[in-house]
Amino acid sequence: MASNYQFQNTGRDLQKDLLGHWYKRLEDAPKTGTPVAYLFISGNICELLRCFGFEIVFPEVNALQCGIKKVAGNMILKAEDLGYSSDVCGYVKNDIGLVASGNRGPFGTMPKPDLLVCNYSGCNTYIKWFEALAELYGARFFMLDVPYRRTGETMRPEDLHYVVKQLEQLAQVCAEISGNKFDMDKLREQLEYARQAEELWVKILHSAKNRPSPFDAFFEAVFFMAPIYVLRGTKECVDYYQAAWNEIEERIQHNIGPLSEERFRVVMEGPPPWPNFRNFWELFKRWGVVSVASTYSKVGGIWDFGMRHDPSRPMESLAEYAVNCYTNWDWSLRRSMLERYAKEYSADALVIHSVKSCRAFSVGQADVREHFSKVQGLPTLFVESDLADPRYFSEAQLRNRIDAFFESLEHRRMASRQPVTAAPTKSGSAT
Amino acid sequence: MLVAGVDVGSTGTKAALLDENKKVRALALVDTGANVVRAAERAFREALAKAELEEWDVSFTVGTGYGRYRVPFGDLQVTEISCHAKGACFLFPQTHTILDMGGQDTKAIRVSETAEVKDFSMNDKCAAGTGRFLTAAAQVLNLGLDDLASIASESKKPLKISNVCTVFVEQEIMMHLAKGCAVEDVLAGVHSAIAGRSIALLRRVGLEPEITFTGGVARNRAMVTALEERLKVKLNVAPESQHIGAIGAALFAWERAAHGEVGKTRSNSNGPAERDQRRSLT
Repeated sequence: MASNYQFQNTGRDLQKDLLGHWYKRLEDAPKTGTPVAYLFISGNICELLRCFGFEIVFPEVNALQCGIKKVAGNMILKAEDLGYSSDVCGYVKNDIGLVASGNRGPFGTMPKPDLLVCNYSGCNTYIKWFEALAELYGARFFMLDVPYRRTGETMRPEDLHYVVKQLEQLAQVCAEISGNKFDMDKLREQLEYARQAEELWVKILHSAKNRPSPFDAFFEAVFFMAPIYVLRGTKECVDYYQAAWNEIEERIQHNIGPLSEERFRVVMEGPPPWPNFRNFWELFKRWGVVSVASTYSKVGGIWDFGMRHDPSRPMESLAEYAVNCYTNWDWSLRRSMLERYAKEYSADALVIHSVKSCRAFSVGQADVREHFSKVQGLPTLFVESDLADPRYFSEAQLRNRIDAFFESLEHRRMASRQPVTAAPTKSGSAT
Repeated sequence: MLVAGVDVGSTGTKAALLDENKKVRALALVDTGANVVRAAERAFREALAKAELEEWDVSFTVGTGYGRYRVPFGDLQVTEISCHAKGACFLFPQTHTILDMGGQDTKAIRVSETAEVKDFSMNDKCAAGTGRFLTAAAQVLNLGLDDLASIASESKKPLKISNVCTVFVEQEIMMHLAKGCAVEDVLAGVHSAIAGRSIALLRRVGLEPEITFTGGVARNRAMVTALEERLKVKLNVAPESQHIGAIGAALFAWERAAHGEVGKTRSNSNGPAERDQRRSLT
């Protein structure tokens, strides 16, 4: 990447500061008497909880922080010592290991929950995760049952009504625990901030349609997306995306991409292997691979397809958001999303990073591979490791697959340019 | 013009030398062992000795296999997937699908009409369905690897080996032997289990004939038979199946050399002058 432009690294550095301050507030919550709720990222209804003054802990974010700070392996072993099987989700085991470590991670000490809101029901393991935490902490557990979205179904009014009714119940529970009354104006104000941040984030995501893409929509997006997941509905979050957009805009103006040369544009499916994030990125960088769209950066919300929080319909738009998050879509809906990305972002290939310890999301990826490589004719690479468990990361095997894949794309490109002498021959015989 | 391909695999390191007509001048095979760099050098030198040539005769060298970046005299690194595809299509021009079964990897590769890799699939995180599975069986039965095929082919009633783990398959074999099952039936079952796994990989990329079987395990006749029986199609198997990766690497080297590129073994040496100097020292 070219250096010395005005807003260089703004998005990355500000994100780091924001998350640092947020973790500090979480650590201080017991001292300040602030109530604490735990939430999942996908379709989270953080604005509603913040109305009651809750600080919000996202155990998934803690798990990925443990991964990137290289302590996930130890946390996972602690959970396995307690009897969790090696097949259980790496995020869950990391979090259980964190509880067993006195809730102390590389980001500080996490406060205990006053309320656990299981706001994502698309993965059964996630429900069991919060049920386990409720037992371990003795905290109140609220199940927000969100209907799954399947192909051919529009968002059904009865589904939204079902979620709205649960949100109203949740508001009562929040009032009981926090001692604060529900303030609709406060919720509307937060949803307006959410909407503004979403507009800016979508501009950033769409900017990857440029050639070169000004940013890596997977390896960089995972940092850029953090504020909209954990701090959405706040002014600081809007300010962050304005600053991040300034950086992206400047990159576009100067034709700056994440790499010195963009040789392959790919769509990424699946989360990164957090404990080996940098190594994994390097395996792609050396081939000049830039991700122009990714599904992982949408697990918190698919605003790029038009979803927005709406202050004029507060509860309804929260419900729409919860129902319509990426992880709450079935495979055929996700597949159509990948098809759109491949086309709209002019991708050369699809890369699927499958997660060994996540059956809920790995199942179906082989079919996606088959669909893209055979039906769509889009070269598709399938690699596997884990999002949290470093034991599943085999660099030699990954490198071999990634090298072979981009090598074959390069050979095909070369062959189409030099059809006479450099094209691999099929004639000749050995003696 | 002479070019070289060196395939540093997990078990064996192979070298191939090709001349300007793409004629194979020499092949060599050594155990990889712990010292990958030395294995690459030994295989290269052995091939040169067979061809009665010297390293400065080699215009360009391509390294492949897991140890491709540890071939100190390599001018270019190409994955074994591309090299096996290249080598297989060179030996059998009608190849559309390749099954490469090596010491720790099994790969299914689909190639285009012009021999470009279109798709590939490999075993993941597990050596079941690879040559390692056979090694485990040979060890527990106290047999040599080369004996397996002939014994397995005597089986009249192959057993069903259900284990998918290379480590646990040893226990399963012991259990069958303890029950009094015949060694040949156990071995035939092992071959059949590996064939089943490999065919699943082949189906992922699409089973389009002709299918060429490469890698060290392709020398095993019982494995060829097990695959052919299940696939109901005849496989292409070359006598030099184990060297196909190295031959493919040499073909990539040939393309570079044909474009006038000169690699380090030639450009770094003084050629005949160095040879004369060596002779005077000895």
